[in-house]
Amino acid sequence: MLTKKVKNRISFLFFIFLSSIIAVFFVLKSLNKNIVYFSSPTEIKQREDIPFKKAMRVGGMVKKGSIVINQKNIQFVVTDFKNEILISYSGTVPNLFAEEKGVVAEGKLRDKNFFIAERILAKHDENYMPPEIKEIIENNAK
Amino acid sequence: MKISISKIIIFSFIIFSFLIFWQGLKKNNDYDTKNLIGNKISNFQLIDLNNEKKLITEEDLRKNEYTLINFFASWCSPCRTEHEYLLKLSNKKIRIIGINFKDKKSNAISFLEELGNPYDFIGKDKNGKISVLFGIYGIPETLIVDSSLIVIKKYIGPIDQNQYDEILKLIQ
Amino acid sequence: MLSNIGIGLVVLVLILSFLTIYAASLDLKTSSQSIQRGIYKLSLYQTTFTILSFFTLIIAFINSDFSLINVYENSHTSKPLFYKIAGTWGNHEGSLLLWINILVIFSYLFLVFNHKHNKKFRLYTLIFQNILILGFLFFLLLNSNPFNSIYPIPREGLGLNPILQDPALAIHPPLLYVGFVGCSIYFSAAMASMVSGYGGKLFAQSIKAWVQISWCFQTLGIIVGSIWAYYELGWGGFWFWDPVENASLLPWFAITALMHSLIVLEKRNTLHAWVIILCLLTFILSVTGTFLVRSGILNSVHTFASDPSRGIYILLFLLFMVFSALIIFFSTYQKEVYKFNLKSRETFILANNWFMIFFLITVLIGMLYPIFLDVLTDIKISVGPPFFNIVIIPLVVPFLFLMAIGPNFSWIKSRNNNAYKILFLILGAVGINLLISNFFGKYSLLSNLIFIAAIFLFLHLFLDIKKFINKKNRFELPRIISHLGFGLLVFFIGINHQFSLEEDFNLKVGEIKKTNSYEINFEDIKITKSKNYKAIIGNFKLTNLKNNVVQYLGPEIRIYSNPETLTYEAAIKTKITSDLYLTMSNVSRSDYYNIKFQNKPFMIWIWISALMITLGGFTRLILKKNEN
Repeated sequence: MLTKKVKNRISFLFFIFLSSIIAVFFVLKSLNKNIVYFSSPTEIKQREDIPFKKAMRVGGMVKKGSIVINQKNIQFVVTDFKNEILISYSGTVPNLFAEEKGVVAEGKLRDKNFFIAERILAKHDENYMPPEIKEIIENNAK
Repeated sequence: MKISISKIIIFSFIIFSFLIFWQGLKKNNDYDTKNLIGNKISNFQLIDLNNEKKLITEEDLRKNEYTLINFFASWCSPCRTEHEYLLKLSNKKIRIIGINFKDKKSNAISFLEELGNPYDFIGKDKNGKISVLFGIYGIPETLIVDSSLIVIKKYIGPIDQNQYDEILKLIQ
Repeated sequence: MLSNIGIGLVVLVLILSFLTIYAASLDLKTSSQSIQRGIYKLSLYQTTFTILSFFTLIIAFINSDFSLINVYENSHTSKPLFYKIAGTWGNHEGSLLLWINILVIFSYLFLVFNHKHNKKFRLYTLIFQNILILGFLFFLLLNSNPFNSIYPIPREGLGLNPILQDPALAIHPPLLYVGFVGCSIYFSAAMASMVSGYGGKLFAQSIKAWVQISWCFQTLGIIVGSIWAYYELGWGGFWFWDPVENASLLPWFAITALMHSLIVLEKRNTLHAWVIILCLLTFILSVTGTFLVRSGILNSVHTFASDPSRGIYILLFLLFMVFSALIIFFSTYQKEVYKFNLKSRETFILANNWFMIFFLITVLIGMLYPIFLDVLTDIKISVGPPFFNIVIIPLVVPFLFLMAIGPNFSWIKSRNNNAYKILFLILGAVGINLLISNFFGKYSLLSNLIFIAAIFLFLHLFLDIKKFINKKNRFELPRIISHLGFGLLVFFIGINHQFSLEEDFNLKVGEIKKTNSYEINFEDIKITKSKNYKAIIGNFKLTNLKNNVVQYLGPEIRIYSNPETLTYEAAIKTKITSDLYLTMSNVSRSDYYNIKFQNKPFMIWIWISALMITLGGFTRLILKKNEN
């Protein structure tokens, strides 16, 4: 006969067990979400199984003369000197993002030539003073 | 206090957690590139890419007036553009150490065979942890260290003509 | 000189702590019912010298006395006076001295205010608390001494980080430390309770006020931190599940659970062991949080600079605390039989504890899993907001539901059949929710459930308020205020989350951007000069297209000279109905500026409800004081 005490203990243990399973499940799930795969433009061109619509990263160098800024977004070309890909991004840009410098973009691939970035991971250096800011301050000092 | 299973489990878990934290602490000698300039590097030890038994330590750094530490990889395209400057610097009065970041040894060797080897010593960093300890998370990056192990300069991204001139001026 | 005075005072406190432990141990053996006068004196001297040592450090900061390394590293002659003072506790060593101050002050106050309680219990509390004090004193003297001196004396300090010069950031640490460190006193009291056998209802009464005080300040400290993040970090967010934020949340869950369980302990003289466990757990979590944050083992937006020896010491101290607590607990544990009727208030308070512990374990797992994984397998991951949100938010629904019906149950056994009332109010909540979704717009299923649960809580509280006005039972007031605050907080966060608008775009000076509801005109920029920075201020004219109301916002790019840094200051217009949030940053090598525009409904109500939760706690303290 299951006494109330035993029943309570069982439900208590069951609750603990269930909570742990839920927690582990969500940890594993977020582990999955946290693994973002990194590719170069060449890999994107060459791989057959490149994921579309799934978060991934593209890295390389920003091609000289390729940055185009308009009201909606920034577009630029990333190259690894063998292949290129066009990236579109709307948002704040780290101050070390520039042509002929390295960049990693995180976002989703639209097709093999076009990538929509949600984040730009170029480094942001506190000790770096952007030239356009310097210019404004100096012009105003006159 | 009676010994029971639950008590053993609890005590074991506590000890286990503390061992993990202890290990975690030991692994963590974090640098922050924000304040790297003017700071001393410590716990410097690299294993040679080609020879596991060969090591380079702080003592080696102290022997040189200036040391350039360059983080590179064969898969890194901007690294190719800065390579010519590194080659030019390798003939000057500065020791050049390369740290091969998250790379396959064979690829790194081919990369250097193709472009030339400016490094006096190449350290390996297969999983990127050593570079992380330096506060680096992008490639290429370059540090200039003096004989008292203080970081005098850091360059993020490939070295260009201006930065090359800057380094030349420094080592003169 | 200040260095010597400071160290001298700290050593004095150390000696006094030893003496206190010794005197208290002796006094335990006497047969007198009251504590020897001398011990009070020792404690008073200890408190005095501790506070003096802290003042010494403050004076050093005010005078910019760079002969102290701590002042050199963290201050600067051109810092405004307020921030010089705040710099005292804005660093690791100084904050440690503040910790010790709180430990000592609480030790003394607990001794003095609890004179009606058992002598052995109070002496043991004093002893355990002073062991903690000694631990921290040794840590300070051997590893993290704010009074260490430097020679030659530097002419100027290093500490001029502009981001840290903010009023909210200045008061946020002390508030939080009263919460974190205040837990120590009932940790010691719990140890004393186990050793002296003084437990139950009387024990609950001795620590009640302390639990309440630490809870109030912990809550307030967390809220102020969030407010700072919102106004200063420029993202428009206020909670990031950042390790340092999580570290402050862990003890909060435990204190909240303890606060509720104490009610049961006092009323029904049961749950002894559980209350003791919570008392021990709270301070252990505080120190664990400190360890995780200050040892450098976790990386976060606001870690103190890390030094491994620091972590090792805290870890060993933590181990010592946990082991002693466990050993004493298991030695004195007596099996308790819990006989709760399901339909009783005790059950619902226990339910609160279940949820608090579940949330606590979730956050703890989220914080520790990456560490364990890295050490065991070398895989580096980070556990981010998605994990915490997915696990915690759905459970808020049943939590609110139970919070609503719980207080309506009487102690021991509830005779009323509340089922009809519950059903009726659920229907009411569903109805009101439908109205809201019609008015504002559709939202997700989860949001629907959350709103229904929150409204259900409001309806219950509304009835409670009616009862309160009629019967004037003052002791219901704190609960009503805090629970209402919590419900409102969940509700407004829900609305804010669902209906916030965010737009990212680039503009040159003179250009105009039109969104669905706003027209944003980037009129011009102007340069201003301040004491330690120059600013580029963007002048933006915002026109609400629905009602043609015009507002001006001026986000800034600030250029600090010492050290040369760039920061972005958001322009925030707070109204009753929503906040307009505008951030401007420069786009490299171009004339464009990247603009982030956000419309965040009911933002200020989020702060008001959160403060309401704290208000309930303070109300309870005031009522209790008047009762005495």
